Formats: sequence, C-alpha cells, structure tokens
Amino acid sequence: MKFPHINRRTHLYLGLFLTPWFLMYAVSSIPFSHNDYFEARDKALNQPLWTKTFDGPYDLGPIPESSQLKSLGARIVRDFKMEDSSYGVYRQSPVQLNIYVHTFWKSTQFKYFIDEKRLTAEDRRFRWEHFLTGMHARGGFEDPRFFNQLWAVIIDFVCLAFLIWIASGLYMWWSLPALRKWGWAAILAGVASFALFLLRL
Amino acid sequence: MSLLLRRIHLYLALFLIPWILMYAVSTFVMNHRFLFHERPPEPPPKYTTEREFTYPGELPAGATSQQIALQLLATLDLDGAHAIARPINPEKLIIYRQHPVSPRRITFTPADKKVVIETLDFAAHSFLERMHRRRGFQHDYLLEDLWAASVDLTIAALIILSLSGLWMWWELRVTHRLGGLALIAGIALFATFLAVM
Repeated sequence: MKFPHINRRTHLYLGLFLTPWFLMYAVSSIPFSHNDYFEARDKALNQPLWTKTFDGPYDLGPIPESSQLKSLGARIVRDFKMEDSSYGVYRQSPVQLNIYVHTFWKSTQFKYFIDEKRLTAEDRRFRWEHFLTGMHARGGFEDPRFFNQLWAVIIDFVCLAFLIWIASGLYMWWSLPALRKWGWAAILAGVASFALFLLRL
Repeated sequence: MSLLLRRIHLYLALFLIPWILMYAVSTFVMNHRFLFHERPPEPPPKYTTEREFTYPGELPAGATSQQIALQLLATLDLDGAHAIARPINPEKLIIYRQHPVSPRRITFTPADKKVVIETLDFAAHSFLERMHRRRGFQHDYLLEDLWAASVDLTIAALIILSLSGLWMWWELRVTHRLGGLALIAGIALFATFLAVM
C-alpha cells in the first residue's frame, strides 16, 4: 500500500467516523450565529423558560473560598439524585450561590441563599437550540468521570482530524495537476479574505 | 453530478482552510482551558496605554453614551464593532472596541474631556478564542456582517463537505465495508454520548 492510497483512505475513514461530530458542530453553530432569531422565535411562544421544582430550607454549612465551591455542587447533585449530570457552582453575590446542573437533555438551576439557608431549584424548558449549543460548548477535562473525559478526548481527536483533513486534502489536490490553477485561486482568495478580516474587523 | 460534487468539495475546502484551521486550533485551546488560563479567580486582563489626550472636539449637549461612543470612535479613526461598559458610569465612559488582534479600551472622562486609549496585551490563546466566538449580525458594520456571513458559509460548508463526502464514499464500492464500519462506529459512539451525558 503506497502513501497516496493511505492518505486517501485516512481522509475518507476519518471523515466517516467523525461525521456525527462534524454535523453536530455545523448544525449547532446556527443558533450561535443567529441567536437573535431563535430568541425572538422563542419569545413569541410566550412560555416561561424556568419552572420551579423546589423551594425550601437547605443548609450547605460554611461556604468555602470561591475556588473551592465545586464540593457544594457535588452535595446538591447527590441530594437531588442528579449524579449523572455535570455542574458548575458560581458566587452570584455575597449572599447567593448559583449551581447549574446539566446534561445534554436537561438543565436545572439551583439558587442557594446563604443567609436564609434556603435553596430553590428550577428546570429549564427543553429547547432544541439549547440542546445543540449545550453540546457544542461542552468540553474540557475538568470533570473526571469517564464519559466526560472521553468526550474531551474526542474533541481533541476532531481538532486533530481537521488538521489531517487539511493536510491530506492538500496532498490529494496537489496530485491532480489539472486542478492546481483553480485550487490556488481558492486558497489565495480564502487566505486574503481571512487576512482582511484580521486586519480590519 | 459526481464530478460537480467533487469539485465543490475540493474548492470549498481549499477556500475555507484558514477558517477551519482557526476553529480547530481554537477548539483545542478551549478544550484545554487550564493549560492556557489561570484557574479562577482569573486576574483581570492586562492593557497597555497607547495614548492619552484631551478630546479636541465638541459633544452635543444631552448626547447618549452610544452617541458619544460613535463620535469618539469616528474621530479616533477607530469606528467599528464596540460595546459600552455596563453599568454606565456618568463620570467615565468606557468603550470596548472589538478587534481580533488588538482590542482596545477607550476611557473618556466628560468632565475634563480626557481620553485614554489602551490596547489589550496580545495572548495567542485569547486571540483564538475571540476569533472562535465572533459571529452574528448584531453590529451595524458591513465588515462585521461579512464576517458573520463567512461563519455561515463555514457552517454550510461543513454540512456540504459531510454530505458530499458520504456521496463520494458510496461511489467507491471497494470502501463500502470499512467505510460503513467507521460510520456505524462513529454513530454508535455519538449515540452512547447522547444517552449517558
């Protein structure tokens, strides 16, 4: 098997394996790019985004430094039987903590009122654009659980695949002398447009 | 049909190489956030003063913050996408002029008409993230709309490249078995993520 053959097959099989991610990143970029449209469309439905599911006394004990807040989120997801979800804890104000708990399909927002020792929980209404943008924005190696780590590894793999597609694609193009002229025109037009954006945006 | 699809696949990909490179590298940076950023609480971004001067022009009485910002930016030859710091401070108007490479912070003090222009210190990872997140048609500037259109073109291209790739694969009978295996493995893994995450 010669290099050009390996190059073609790598380009193809890598593309086929990563097709779901390729399509997901493309489609989920649409609500990011046209956020105003999706927000206006949803507003027209006139439905509340959040529904309260809990409001009651809850004691998180002493509140640690901002960098140590994660442990509080762990306790809440355990108490509310949401261990499969990812979460983040943020200090909204000196007297309030917000805890966002989410899966691809569901988002819950907890608000903990420190002085009152009170907790509220609200579920977010499902919206396809949130589902897509949530998946798009998911990444990083901070969550130690297996599937979260694997998802982050796949993201790195997708990044690497993009570089491999570019390199292998350029090699295949260069092997077709009849297409060089128009190929150069496309590359130069792309590089020139991008450079213009970098300088003038 | 097949030849047309092949040419579209090739030339579209060649044209969009800079965008695809930028999105690939910036995604890697964002996926390894703490390799490139300090852990929270992050220190505030660092700016370097570019120039300070007293604004020589006159501002219309009762001008809004946005009107002042537009006039200042036009006078300074910095007209373009910007945001005004909130909450608006009557003693100081802070304008963030967006730019991929060197974003600026312009602070205007109406009492003495003092203008301070500062440039954000360059950091490759921040530059990449800014490029990655820049999108949308919300600004009143042609170049911003063109950039947003280029982002939409990249989105459309990713879909076209996927579908035309599938078509080209289907034409290569000899690759059906391994290709089908790769496709099914990818779909199965993706579906697993959907089920468990």
